[in-house]
Amino acid sequence: MAQPIIISQSGSYHYVQDTAGELTIYVLLFTSEEVDIEVSQMVSGCSVTIKGLCYISNKDSARVHTHVKHLASEGQSQQVVKFVLNDEAKGEFFGELYIAKDAQHIDAQQTNRNILLSRQASMRTRPQLIIYADDVKASHGATTGQLDENALFYMQQRGISKSTAQQLLLQAFVKDVLPLSLDGVSEHIQERLLSLGIGEEV
Amino acid sequence: MSLLEIRNLRASIAGKEILKGVNLTINEGEVHAIMGPNGAGKSTLSAVLTGHPAYTVTEGQVLLHGKDLLSMPPEQRAREGVFLSFQYPVEIPGVSMVNFLRTAVNEKRQYEGKEPLKATEFLKLMREKRALLEMADKLNNRAVNEGFSGGEKKKNEIFQMAMLEPCLSILDETDSGLDIDALRIVAAGVNKLKTPNNASIVITHYQRLLDYIVPDFVHVLADGQIVKTGTKELALELEQKGYEWLNQ
Repeated sequence: MAQPIIISQSGSYHYVQDTAGELTIYVLLFTSEEVDIEVSQMVSGCSVTIKGLCYISNKDSARVHTHVKHLASEGQSQQVVKFVLNDEAKGEFFGELYIAKDAQHIDAQQTNRNILLSRQASMRTRPQLIIYADDVKASHGATTGQLDENALFYMQQRGISKSTAQQLLLQAFVKDVLPLSLDGVSEHIQERLLSLGIGEEV
Repeated sequence: MSLLEIRNLRASIAGKEILKGVNLTINEGEVHAIMGPNGAGKSTLSAVLTGHPAYTVTEGQVLLHGKDLLSMPPEQRAREGVFLSFQYPVEIPGVSMVNFLRTAVNEKRQYEGKEPLKATEFLKLMREKRALLEMADKLNNRAVNEGFSGGEKKKNEIFQMAMLEPCLSILDETDSGLDIDALRIVAAGVNKLKTPNNASIVITHYQRLLDYIVPDFVHVLADGQIVKTGTKELALELEQKGYEWLNQ
């Protein structure tokens, strides 16, 4: 499989899949950034995975827009984008999924899950599915909430400090959107992941 | 000095008073059963003793080995040796049992000024304690309580108790949802963990559990107060006559 693409700063990123194959993109944002990703599948048999983690604090705001365009049949797309927002941070996810009339047998999933760590943090999320083909599987889901209070108390009752308990829950939350290997991830991003205690394998 | 001393404890949730002046003294080596009708405040008592944030203590005092328990955050109470076997153990997806327990054991050791356990020592300890509860190895690689059956969750509570070696264990309806085999294993586990220096509070609706975990004292909690205290015979009497009998 090809080396995944890692996006960690603002910009518009366009990818055209004109041969059958897999594309994997990770978005890792830790400060104010605006990222637009567009992926167009031109031929049948393409697959794209977009995973994202935006972990921001202070008054920073991060925006991720994705546009996945299925223009050919037998394509797959999977998007899982997560935001962790602390302090007064603002997050925005806009996920557009387009399936053209002739693009049959598409399997497309989009998930956006967000955790607000403070009452002042806020999240906007807007999934948009535009589907013209009639024989496709497409799903989307978005949730925004806080860390599970019952789980936090359960861990504290076992002697784990609240901050460590929060970190364990956050590690669990972000696990599935991080790259399997930090090779190829810039040192700056590696530092950020490790300082948040979420990059290390347990 | 008593292990635990509860003095005139009053507590409320969302403005509603649940505990209305509880007094209870527990010494080392003792097992106390707390029985009572639904809504009497049994689970509230365990939540207040462990520092659940939903409850507000409005009056009274709780001393653990003479220390003011109520001023401590939940994790400190746990490190001081208060353990709650939850009535409804919480599922924590994505956090493995090993990671969870290693963190808990080592944070407690750090609090006690001890070195953290090395990985091999920790895994050995887990193996030993797991055998006590006749638990399958595979449970420890799974996320905390996730997908565990009702019986597995209750065994897992007592397993954690074995790992943490508390001085005061509160078993909140540990028998609910257990079949007779699981009940026997769980009770045997609790009995093996009994020492002359620790104590237990066993909260239950049914006398059945007390056939296996024999209490030194039985208390009846009704409408937020302990209204009667006796020995294990009181539990049998309650089983026959119901709680209504106490009002007569």
